[in-house]
Amino acid sequence: MNPSDAALRDLRVPAPVLAVPDDYLHVEQTLGSWILTTDHKRIGILYLVSITGFFVLGAIAAGLIRLALIVPDGSILSNDVYNRVFTLHGVIMVWFFLVPSIPNTLGNFLLPLMIGAKDVAFPRLNLLSWYIFVIASLFTVFVMIWGGVDTGWTFYTPLSTQYSNSYVLTAVFGIIVVGFSSILTGMNFMVTVHKLRAPGMTWFRLPLFVWSLYATSLILVLATPVLTIALILLFADRAFGLAIFDPANGGDPVLFQHLFWFYSHPVVYVMVLPGMGVMSELVTAFSYKKIFGYKFIAFSSVGIAVIGFFVWGHHMFYNGMSPFAGLTFSLMSFIVAVPSAIKVYNWAATIHKGSIRLDTPMLYALGWIGLFVIGGVTGLMLASTAIDGQVHDTYFVVAHFHYIMVGATVVAFMGGIHFWWPKITGRKYSEPWGRVSALLMFIGFNMTFAPQYVLGYMGMPRRYAVYPPAYQVLNVLSSAGATVLALAYIFPMIYLIWSLWYGEEAGDNPWGAKGLEWLTTSPPPKHNFEHTPMVDFDPYDYPNVTPEK
Amino acid sequence: MSTAVGIKVEEHFHNAEQQRETAKLGMWVFLLTELLLFSGLFVSALVIRVLHPDSVTAVALHLKFWIGATNTAILIVSSFCMSGAIESSRLGLRRPMIFCMLATAGLGVLFLMLKGYEYDRDYVEHMTPFLSFRRYELVGDPASRLFTDLYFVITGLHAIHLTIGIGIMLVMSWLASRPHFLERHQNRIEITGLYWHFIDLIWMIVFPTLYLLNR
Repeated sequence: MNPSDAALRDLRVPAPVLAVPDDYLHVEQTLGSWILTTDHKRIGILYLVSITGFFVLGAIAAGLIRLALIVPDGSILSNDVYNRVFTLHGVIMVWFFLVPSIPNTLGNFLLPLMIGAKDVAFPRLNLLSWYIFVIASLFTVFVMIWGGVDTGWTFYTPLSTQYSNSYVLTAVFGIIVVGFSSILTGMNFMVTVHKLRAPGMTWFRLPLFVWSLYATSLILVLATPVLTIALILLFADRAFGLAIFDPANGGDPVLFQHLFWFYSHPVVYVMVLPGMGVMSELVTAFSYKKIFGYKFIAFSSVGIAVIGFFVWGHHMFYNGMSPFAGLTFSLMSFIVAVPSAIKVYNWAATIHKGSIRLDTPMLYALGWIGLFVIGGVTGLMLASTAIDGQVHDTYFVVAHFHYIMVGATVVAFMGGIHFWWPKITGRKYSEPWGRVSALLMFIGFNMTFAPQYVLGYMGMPRRYAVYPPAYQVLNVLSSAGATVLALAYIFPMIYLIWSLWYGEEAGDNPWGAKGLEWLTTSPPPKHNFEHTPMVDFDPYDYPNVTPEK
Repeated sequence: MSTAVGIKVEEHFHNAEQQRETAKLGMWVFLLTELLLFSGLFVSALVIRVLHPDSVTAVALHLKFWIGATNTAILIVSSFCMSGAIESSRLGLRRPMIFCMLATAGLGVLFLMLKGYEYDRDYVEHMTPFLSFRRYELVGDPASRLFTDLYFVITGLHAIHLTIGIGIMLVMSWLASRPHFLERHQNRIEITGLYWHFIDLIWMIVFPTLYLLNR
């Protein structure tokens, strides 16, 4: 080698490159770039962190309830403290965890990715929605822990207006404000789906998760204001001496229940519809098969959202409702079960003869189907006026709605988080630990809540700290199940966070799944796609197909 | 006189048309929410009418019809001014637009003043059942008290919306008086207009529900 060659060799040495990834997680690193971000992906993460915090608080309250119910004589928590604890549990879990759970975390993250947009329609409103949510929720939780509220999450009048001596006013104020966050998110998603779809992304090419988010947003936009007005009236009754719900002055306490359930029944579908959307994605990806009955699933989401507005009376069969009204609400409640059943059949048909992989998300999905079917069928029992007379306000109702809220919403949330974790963080989590947690969740959940069906059927009422000793065995079983369930929540929190630093690099599409979100890098760049995607393919175009004719 | 009209496209939109339609749809969806907010109250008021027709008539006769009717007329004229502002903004006529918006806000203030006078009369006539220190002297019937309460909640909520509307109108006129506003944000005038028309429309339901039926 002569000297001139050595000089040439040195010239060919490439300039050193610092391998700084420019995805949305790394593009800016300051605190300000997070708390002032308008990037829907980062806002999704902000929501994920905050609702996880609220979930932990709500779960601690649940743990206290189960702890207190180990003994029948109420010697662990007094009646008053017990009332405050279950109210805390209900309010946190419903408004600060379940309602924002899937839509505001996975929905925020995925909606623009799935339809090929750069962001949601109103990015600044999206951030505002998070601020409203966090500030109002923290305020409410602070009030409820510091002062306490003992009315139950339903705030039924006249207990909440005249008799309760606790911090109802401030808590109600906080919940009214949290409602604005729901409304803003609902608006944002609806407009995003209408106006920001990529070229070629027709309505029937939308992933079913997007359809379910659309139906959810419809409910958020139409139902939340009715809760707002019901709570404003409650607030005015208590604060300014109005008499809207005061029977002594011509008011009607049942009017509150009508307004309340006009929101709170549809909002059950706010919790479960996004879960169904996640399910549609999981079942197809892990059966490696095109979804069966796409249009049926899509329209059944909208059907549930619409019919869900006409079933609220089934919470009030025994509050002086006329038998004809009861019959009508009962019939409507049976009808709203049809679209849910359609979905379950379609998923079953999708799994049938698919190339099934039993990875963690699929385990959650299979558990979901089992829990949802049990929760749904007992829902039909409760919708029959005669059976409801027997089990109204018992643990049967508690078990039923936990099968839906936890069995359907939380399980789908966990499944979805595991499925999209590689996309969100760019890392893989520990698959064995994932599978163990999914199984533990199924076992722990059933151990906790299946005994409550029996308890309720035997006649144990809700909301009491003291119960007859005959019910103790099943209550202890339920509390034991709650500890298993707790493990199923703690494990993922540990191994998912661990994977952020030590997890294997995931690659763009670790599951071989279809959909626009898997076409971009993991984690996605700040504006989601290098170029706006052109959509010229059907959704879920997996190799396996069930002939539909 | 007229200036260029247009909007500045934000980076997550493809073009101005998409951004314009998105903003408009967003406002419509928000108005849908608002409609549901009020309809809970309207339904309650109608149910009370059906249940207690006599006591409701007693209250309805006691409300100041002339104030309600005048206020209705004021809001209709204010909506007309708002349409003038929108039309001027499309043509790029800045000064007429700001004049129309200020007139709109002024009519809104007039409405609130009349409404305030009506509340004052109600107070003087002992029609304030929620004030514990002041006897309620309409009729002994409890249900009339219920309807009076709803009257205050509905008109109060409407007044809050109108106050917000006036605030937005003033801020927008201040923003729009600066140069280049119409070149970048013309559609904001239209969005504001949608909200204003909606508040008027709500009053068009409030007026018959409270003042006219059973009269």
